[in-house]
Amino acid sequence: MKKRAWFPRAAAAGAALALGLSLSACGSGDSSGGGDGGKIHVLVYGDSANKVEKQIVAEFNKTSKVKAVLDTIPGANYQQKLQTIINTDQAPDVFFNWGGGSIKPFVDAGLLLPLDDFIAKDSGLQSNFLPSVFNAAVVDGKSYGVPMRGTQPVILFNNGNVLKDAGVEPPKTWDELLDVVKTLKDKGVTTPIALGGGDKWPTLMWFEYVYDRVAGPELFEKALGGDKEAWASADSKKALSMLKELVDTGAFGKNFDSVKYTDQGSVTLLAKGKAAFELMGSWEYSQHQTDNPEFAKDGLGYTTFPTIEGGKGDPANVVGNTNNFYSVLKKTKHPEAVADFLKLMYSDKFVKAQLGIGNLPTTTNTEKFLDTSASPEYSKFQFDLVKKAPSFQLSWDQAYPQSAADAMHTAIQQFFNGQLDADGFIKAMQALPTS
Amino acid sequence: MKRRPNYLAGLGSLVWLGLVALPLYVMLSATLQSRSDYTANGPLGIPDNLTLDNYTNVFSSGFGQYFLNTLIVTVAVVAIVLLLVPPLAYAIVRSRGRVTTGVFRLFLLGLAIPAQAVIVPMFYVISQAGLYDNLIGVILPTAAFSLPMCALILTGVMRDITSDLYEAMAMDGAPTWRVFFQLVLPLSKGGLSTITVFSALQAWNGFLFPLVLTQSESTKVITLGLYNFQTQYGINIPGLLAAVVVSMLPILLVYLFARRTLVQGLMGVGGK
Amino acid sequence: MTTITTVKTVERRRPAGRSAARVGRPGIAWAAPAAVFFVLFAIVPLVLVAVLSFMSWNGIGSPQFVGSDNWTKLFDDPVLVKSLWLSVLITVLGVLVQTPLSIVLGAWAAGQQRNRAVLSAIFFVPLLLSATAVSVLWRALLDPNFGVPAQAKWLFGDGNLLGMQSGAIGVLVFVGAWQYVPFHTLIYQGAARAIPKVLYQAAEIDGAGRVRQFFHITLPQLRNTMITSGIIMVVGGLTTFDTVLILTQGGPGTDTTISAYYMYQKAFKGFDFGVGSAVALVLVVVATVISLVMVRLSGYDKMRSAMEGL
Repeated sequence: MKKRAWFPRAAAAGAALALGLSLSACGSGDSSGGGDGGKIHVLVYGDSANKVEKQIVAEFNKTSKVKAVLDTIPGANYQQKLQTIINTDQAPDVFFNWGGGSIKPFVDAGLLLPLDDFIAKDSGLQSNFLPSVFNAAVVDGKSYGVPMRGTQPVILFNNGNVLKDAGVEPPKTWDELLDVVKTLKDKGVTTPIALGGGDKWPTLMWFEYVYDRVAGPELFEKALGGDKEAWASADSKKALSMLKELVDTGAFGKNFDSVKYTDQGSVTLLAKGKAAFELMGSWEYSQHQTDNPEFAKDGLGYTTFPTIEGGKGDPANVVGNTNNFYSVLKKTKHPEAVADFLKLMYSDKFVKAQLGIGNLPTTTNTEKFLDTSASPEYSKFQFDLVKKAPSFQLSWDQAYPQSAADAMHTAIQQFFNGQLDADGFIKAMQALPTS
Repeated sequence: MKRRPNYLAGLGSLVWLGLVALPLYVMLSATLQSRSDYTANGPLGIPDNLTLDNYTNVFSSGFGQYFLNTLIVTVAVVAIVLLLVPPLAYAIVRSRGRVTTGVFRLFLLGLAIPAQAVIVPMFYVISQAGLYDNLIGVILPTAAFSLPMCALILTGVMRDITSDLYEAMAMDGAPTWRVFFQLVLPLSKGGLSTITVFSALQAWNGFLFPLVLTQSESTKVITLGLYNFQTQYGINIPGLLAAVVVSMLPILLVYLFARRTLVQGLMGVGGK
Repeated sequence: MTTITTVKTVERRRPAGRSAARVGRPGIAWAAPAAVFFVLFAIVPLVLVAVLSFMSWNGIGSPQFVGSDNWTKLFDDPVLVKSLWLSVLITVLGVLVQTPLSIVLGAWAAGQQRNRAVLSAIFFVPLLLSATAVSVLWRALLDPNFGVPAQAKWLFGDGNLLGMQSGAIGVLVFVGAWQYVPFHTLIYQGAARAIPKVLYQAAEIDGAGRVRQFFHITLPQLRNTMITSGIIMVVGGLTTFDTVLILTQGGPGTDTTISAYYMYQKAFKGFDFGVGSAVALVLVVVATVISLVMVRLSGYDKMRSAMEGL
């Protein structure tokens, strides 16, 4: 039986070695980054919007002694990579994030630098941004992020030609929406509302708006604060029954879970007139300009989400992505340089560059450049929407802790496809971790 | 001897040809259209306005550097695999020691480790070794994760070398290393080319290790560069697919040139 | 570990002929470099995963030992059990679909005709594409409104392939086959070419038809290849990941949440590295047991002693 012993012994030796490795790795957060004196690393979500970030970094490096280095991480895996390196020597000085729940764990771990000192030295770092957006990166009363891309409220897009053919107007209220859906179905539009259910998050947008209109932002705030009963409240049940009614009328067609937004499936439904509506983030507009230029010119319409009679929420409320933010790591060796870098995020150059690629920055000086944007009318509509909104609800999946996102997506998908009923959905939401 | 044609197999292969060719057609036709034309025509449509813009975009988006990096990683991984696996397989097949049997089991265990599972510890191992954001840091784990499969394939091949042959060499008084170089290696050419292809593909298409273990533009590989064609909420499908076509062309060319040797070499993988 | 020991005992029966001992045999030194390398970059991280499975860690702070908490959590988790079943199901379906296809295509491609060479080259292409590219392509092709299902309504109905479990699993198995059949075809092609021609000539003299030749000569001669290829398919099936990520994201609901994807969800989307590591270990154990059983049942392990014992 001697030979049996090799495995446990080898395993024990391996474990000892491994443990040593992991412990030394964990303790190494304070050692120097080595070899990059005079540099700050800026980590951003890698995608086609990097153009502007590259431009701003180049702008910064023209005058600064401390040079900024831009590192782009392939988008879909950004958060995974960030979480892996944030507590190591490889952590950046400044990094891209979504505010809210996406930086909370880093704040809790004491890794992030509150920006209060920066703001004390230059109040513009706060006052030059729209408050409703700036506040999305405030955690426990302190600011941790500066908006660095565009705001993306969720908007109800429509295909004007389809509506015209059916002789209907874009709906202003929920009841009108139900009527319009019915009329469209009668006229042979099998998918009145395009929905990329395969991506799951587009479905979530319907929940966000209906809950906000029915119950106001307070219900979700409560739920997020740990009050599980909020999900079982009368308002919550009402919102669910309304959503259920909409799905059951066949508003989204039969195969919405096989359609995706991200591979242009749902967008194309709208553009080709096979659907009349799509509820989507404001980015859909520029998507159509690239992919369906003719439709963007003479068919694409947009309105705010319909009001709901008797609802408690302000009809001017919006939901969506407030903006993306730059946050700063405490251990950065060049805080002054970082502060100077952040100041560029409200510069005229930055605003113009963002508008140039179809993003809508959320600085106070944005307004005067709206005419220079590629589609001034749309930019103004959007900017007004955000500016006047009493509440800008951050997407649920980003407001909740990251660990909740998957279970939440599963639940909303299952409610729409009938695998969960209202009670099942409420239970699933109550089971989500809130902190 | 003349054989009549095999209609059944021929028909089957034609069906399969359709299944393989359709997506490839979609891919090629998408890359030759502008984004708006692609959306207008749909994936199955026939392109009307052909354009090479997608390809010029690929080359202007830093693909040259990514290309070079991918090539370095691939060549290095193949080299490591070819250096380590043949002696390993030889030892597994021919050694009488208990330890080598254990080693084989160890590699069998390794077959099933999903790279996803070990990525976080791997990050620590590599950064402790000071190899973070360095191509060497990508090469080492990629090679390590190719080893089990390559070992399995090559032992399968070496096993089929009969003991008569060994004994014949022994009569001549050949030392172990000569047996290895003059008998085992020449007779395992097939396995060697399979593991070359296998490890090269692993390295060329590797995504996870480069993602987590590199950071800067100068160490980016092609698979990471594909993300230049995506946004947070969408994909530039023609652009992305053009990048895919560009990235697979080198391997396809190598395959076309080396096909004859490869297939001949493949004779006898696990069989006789 | 008991299985391993028993197998080992079987092997250790030395065919104590002194003539065999005269042949130079490689010592452990020949295996050492590969083994050391492998231990360093694969086994050490795996052991760390095992350690992590007893810790609570969100990837940021320091890991805390929590004993067997993660494991108790896991065994109460219906999604994990479901995910294991789904993994096994997708793997089994994958083997069942890929093996016959690869054998037939491989045997066919082994012929020397020129057109076969050209076709083989085309068949080879899917292997060159990264899993991401393959998935993006098939997503576009399977779009219910603009892809193949819209053109073939008689076959796909309303095209809700990815919106129902059977359809989604079918798609994953099919796309997996599309991507990996070329590799296995290549292996079988090589093996089929190595079958001695005399066997077929003799059969033809006996008047055996093509079908009989296939079943009586080709298949038995490919036995060893089937084992190698089978193990590769099983391991590949159990670790299927990219296609799930891009094609179904585990949906609808959790209907295609296979273990490898579940682990990714837990560890990298939920940042619960403790539970994620535990799922990973379960997966490694399951896959290892299956490969060992296959090796054992097939006698792959014993072949060596059998051959040398002569």
